[in-house]
Amino acid sequence: MKTLAIMRRDLLKLMRNPLTLLSTVLMPIIYLVVIGNSFQGQLRHLPVAVVAQDHGIYARRVVEQLLALQAGPKTVTLSFVSDPGTAIAGVRNGEYKGAVIIPPNFSHSVAEGRIAEIGLFTDNVDTVSSSTLESVLSDAAASIKVDFVTAREPKLNEIVMRPSWLFTYVDYDRSLIPGVIVMAIFMGSLMAGVFNWVMDKFMGVTECYLVTPLSRWNIAAGILGSGVTITSAVAVFVLFLGLLITRGTIEGGFPALMTLIGIIVITSTGLLAMTFAILGRAGHPRLVGTFAGFLNVILFFPSGAIYPVESFPPWLRSFAAYNPETHAVNAIKQILFKGADFAAVMHDLAFLLVFMGITLTLASMSFKRTL
Amino acid sequence: MMEPDSAAILTEDLTKRFGNFTAVDSVNFEVRRGEVFGMLGPNGAGKTTLVRMLTTLLPPTSGRATVAGEDIGRHARKVRERIGVIPQALTSDLDLTGWENVDIYGCFYGVPRSERHKRAHRLLEMVRLSDRANDLVATYSGGMRRRLEIARGLIHSPRVLFLDEPTIGLDPQSRRAVWDLLLELHNESEITVSLTTHYMDEAEQLCDRIAIVDHGKIIALDTPAGLKKLVNGSDRVEVQVDGNSEQVAASLRTQTYVSEVTIDGDKLIIATDDGAHVIPRLIESVESAGSRVTSLNVHQLSLEDVFIRFTGRTLRDEAAKKVSFLVGAGMPQQR
Repeated sequence: MKTLAIMRRDLLKLMRNPLTLLSTVLMPIIYLVVIGNSFQGQLRHLPVAVVAQDHGIYARRVVEQLLALQAGPKTVTLSFVSDPGTAIAGVRNGEYKGAVIIPPNFSHSVAEGRIAEIGLFTDNVDTVSSSTLESVLSDAAASIKVDFVTAREPKLNEIVMRPSWLFTYVDYDRSLIPGVIVMAIFMGSLMAGVFNWVMDKFMGVTECYLVTPLSRWNIAAGILGSGVTITSAVAVFVLFLGLLITRGTIEGGFPALMTLIGIIVITSTGLLAMTFAILGRAGHPRLVGTFAGFLNVILFFPSGAIYPVESFPPWLRSFAAYNPETHAVNAIKQILFKGADFAAVMHDLAFLLVFMGITLTLASMSFKRTL
Repeated sequence: MMEPDSAAILTEDLTKRFGNFTAVDSVNFEVRRGEVFGMLGPNGAGKTTLVRMLTTLLPPTSGRATVAGEDIGRHARKVRERIGVIPQALTSDLDLTGWENVDIYGCFYGVPRSERHKRAHRLLEMVRLSDRANDLVATYSGGMRRRLEIARGLIHSPRVLFLDEPTIGLDPQSRRAVWDLLLELHNESEITVSLTTHYMDEAEQLCDRIAIVDHGKIIALDTPAGLKKLVNGSDRVEVQVDGNSEQVAASLRTQTYVSEVTIDGDKLIIATDDGAHVIPRLIESVESAGSRVTSLNVHQLSLEDVFIRFTGRTLRDEAAKKVSFLVGAGMPQQR
C-alpha cells in the first residue's frame, strides 16, 4: 500500500502536468523530424563552374553528361566560365562548390588511348558536398566511353553480383525510430524520476517522506515504479507516433511489440536507476537540467542511433560498446525492422539486464534514509 | 536513568556535531504527555537540528532520546509511526487535491482505507477545508495550505506533533486560524505538541512551557510566566533623555526602585516592579542627574524582553555555508 501510494502521488502529479509529458514526447519526435530531414536526401543544385578548354568530341560528351546531371537529378547547377583562375577563385570564395576544368587536347588524349585527365577542384571543407561531386562527376566522366563497349552476355567465368534485400526497405527517417525511442526513455526517466525527486528535495517535500514510516524500499520502489510506468508509456507512444510519421510497421507483429515493450521497460529501469545513481543526491533541480543535456549527448550520439557505430574512431567505438543506449537501439532495431527472435537480441538484452542490475545497486547505495 | 514511557519526549545529553561545529550540545529536557512545548531561539541556535534529530531525520552524534516512548536511534521506524511533522516549508503537493494530499499520507502510515477516509473527512472538516477538499492545492492560499498540512500531519493520529514555524508568512487571520486549530487540538486530545517558533506572542499564547535555545543549548526552560520571573522587574520603562545617557544610567542604578538599567541606542530601558508609580521619582532622578526626559513609555515585561535578556541583542547571521565552486548551491549542504 505504501509503495503504491508513492506511485499514485507521482503518477497523479505527472498526469496533471501534460506539458512535462509532452516535452518528453516532443523532444525525440523533433529529433526524428529534424534530423530525419536534414541528414538525408540527395544533394541538389550544387553550383559548379565548368571551364571547357577543349571543344573536341569527348570534351563535348563530358559537357553533355554534366548538362544531363543538371537537367535530370539536378545534382549540379552549371556555370560556364572561360578562365580556370576565375573558376578556382569562385570555389575559394564560396561561389561554387566545385570547378570542372577540361584541359586542351583532352579529346585527342582520349582518342589516342592516353591518360586523359579532367581537373576537379572542390570545396573540400564541405566534405559531404565535396564527396558527392567527386562521385557524380567521376561517374559522368567515366560514362563517356560506354558507347565503345560492346554489349555482350556475361562470360561463364565472370562473377555477377545481384544485390537483394533481406528485410523490408528502411529509409533514413524510419531508421531513426529506435534512437528516438531511446531518447524518449532517457528524457522520461529524467523527468519522471530523478528530476521529480530532486525537485521534491528542493521544495522540502522529501523531508516529509523521511519522517513517515516509509522504508527505503517503499520510497525507491514507488519512485521507480511510477518513473518506469510513465517512461515506458511515453516510449511506446513515441514508437507509434514515429511509425505513423514514417508510415512504418512493426515487423513481427504483436509478439515483436511485446518484446519491444520488454526492452523499453528494462532500458527505462536501467536509465532511471543510472540517473538516480549520478544525480540523486543533487540539491537543486538546475543541476539535473545541466547534467541531463550533457548525458543525453554523450549517450545518444555514440549509440548508433544516427550513424553506424562502425564509422566511429576506435576510442568512441569502445565507449559505444559499453553505452547502454547502443544496446537498446540495436535491440529495438533488430525487433522493429527485422522481426528478429530472442536469440538475435540476447546479447543486447543481457547487457541491458546487467546494466540495470549494476545501476539499481548503485542507486540504492547512494540513497540515504536520513538527511 | 531514562524511563521511556513517562514522557512524550526525553533527551539525555543529546549532541549533534557537523565537523568541528557543535549544533546541539548535550541537551537534556523532558516534554510531558499532552503538553504544548515551545522552542524559541535565534537563527542558528540549533532548534532545527534538535527537531531533526527527534524526528529521526538526523542521527545524533552522541547522547540519546526517546519520542513517544521509543528510542530515536534504535527504533526510528516506531518513532516515525507515532509522530506527525509539519515542516516550515509548505510541502503539500500543488498538483493534488486537498483530499488526495491527506489520503496519500494516510497510506504512507498504513491506515486502512475505511478508517483513512473517515479520518480525512473529520480532519478536513476540523481545518475547515471540507468544501475545498476536491480542489487542487494550487488554488489554495498559504493559510489554507498550512491548515491542510496540519490535517495531513494528523491523519495517522500521532502521539507527538512537531510543528516548525507553522505560521511563518501567514496573514494575521490565517495565523489566528492556525492558533485556534492548535488550541482546539490541545483541548480535545491527548496529543503532545512540539512547536518551534520565532513569534513570542504565538509561544505565549499556545505553549504550556517554553525552552529558550541558544548556541546549541537550552538556556532557560519554564512556563511563560515562570520565564518572566527569571528576569528582574515586572515592568519596563523606556526613557529618552536630552543629556548624557551614561551619566543618567549610572545615577538611576543607585535608586532602590530600579532593578536594572540598560542602554539601547539613545534609549534607557529601566527594569522595575511598579512602572506606573515610579514615573515621578524617575523623572526627578533624571533631572537631578542634569538631564531632562524627552519621552517615556511604560510596558509590562513581555516574553520578547525575556528572550532578548537571555539571548542578547546581537544579530545572528548564520555562519557561512560552504558552497561548491563548480555547482554553486546545487549540491546538498551538511547543515
